[in-house]
Amino acid sequence: MVGAVEEAQLNRLENQVDNGGGGAWEYLCLVRKLKVRRSEKVLKHGLSILNDPKQRSKLGGEEWTLYEQVAIAAMDCQCVDIAKDCINALQRKFPESMRVGRLKGMLLEARGSWKDAEVAYSSLLEDNPLDQVIQKRRVAMAKAQGNISGAIECLNKYLEIFMADHEAWRELAEIYVSLQMYKQAAFCYEELILCQPLVPLYHLAYADVLYTLGGLENLQMSKKYYASTIDLTGGKNTRALFGICLCSAAIAQLSKGRNKEDKDSSELHTLAAKTLEKEYKQRSLTKLPLLTATLRNLKLPS
Amino acid sequence: MSFGFMIGVFGVLILAHAAYSTIQYRSLLKILEEEFSGLPMNVVGELLLGLVFCMWAALTVPGKFLSILPYSEENRIVSLPDNLDFMVFNHRGKVFPSKMDLKLKR
Repeated sequence: MVGAVEEAQLNRLENQVDNGGGGAWEYLCLVRKLKVRRSEKVLKHGLSILNDPKQRSKLGGEEWTLYEQVAIAAMDCQCVDIAKDCINALQRKFPESMRVGRLKGMLLEARGSWKDAEVAYSSLLEDNPLDQVIQKRRVAMAKAQGNISGAIECLNKYLEIFMADHEAWRELAEIYVSLQMYKQAAFCYEELILCQPLVPLYHLAYADVLYTLGGLENLQMSKKYYASTIDLTGGKNTRALFGICLCSAAIAQLSKGRNKEDKDSSELHTLAAKTLEKEYKQRSLTKLPLLTATLRNLKLPS
Repeated sequence: MSFGFMIGVFGVLILAHAAYSTIQYRSLLKILEEEFSGLPMNVVGELLLGLVFCMWAALTVPGKFLSILPYSEENRIVSLPDNLDFMVFNHRGKVFPSKMDLKLKR
């Protein structure tokens, strides 16, 4: 999870490294720790460390981690030759390693030779049938070939064994959303919220899915989840604030005929609108008229 | 050694002294053949002082307190990690080959 402080630190370090201020190794470590995908930068700065024997020897054992990181970044940038060189270096150091075998499979993937990659992964799985990363790679491979239904099937099979793997649940949810299968996606997000109840972004995504599904009951539920997102972020999440306003407007429209209780909820969206106005005033004053017009067009019940 | 740690040591010494005085007081009572009803005031004061010192040291020496609120600046989650285990190389970046011609020197 990337926290607010960590994100600021990452951006600061990235700026510093890009302008030649040093600290490349710290930057690469942070990228690895936060698991963000900055392949081009990792490739550039990682290679400059690896090509400098003095800097490289300073890393000690960490050198091999860097080789792996750079290899994956190179594959992501389609620099297959660099990836191959890195993997060869790793192979010389760790001839029997499973992890290097996995990298080789990924190299085949990056080249687009899916059949060979499949063979490589299958032979690795024979040695160790419960290797999670390789099973995930197979899902990714199906996805890369455009075989989304195959990926879903594979992922479901994987999740039957490894139910606690939240990354896989998230991937499945995102695939379902991309296919507009919102009911299934909602189930995955429920699972994620159960797994990690304090991550506001899962609440937010679940609320989004429910809002998209529509219907009075779903809308009310979605509003609750937007509210819990606000609770967990201290009102710093703009999307959740907008979500509250949209949900209130939609609920008001649906329940126009039957006048229901809902006295307390009117307070909620006025508060959200007020917070939005305050945020816009602080951060981008030029867009404030746009916001007020949008909020007026929503015809929020008051 | 830090200032807080010294205070902590001092607090422990005071507590030990209070314990010693209590034992002495009880043996004195035994000689005088009186009932033990309570501690003398100065020992109680000593105990309280030692407690305050020890508590202060225990709260400051081990380190700073971290926030447990989910929305505090340190804990607030702003983005999820990119799902690197499911990374796909067959993306649109493939169409735009990078202009860098970097090489791994051997």
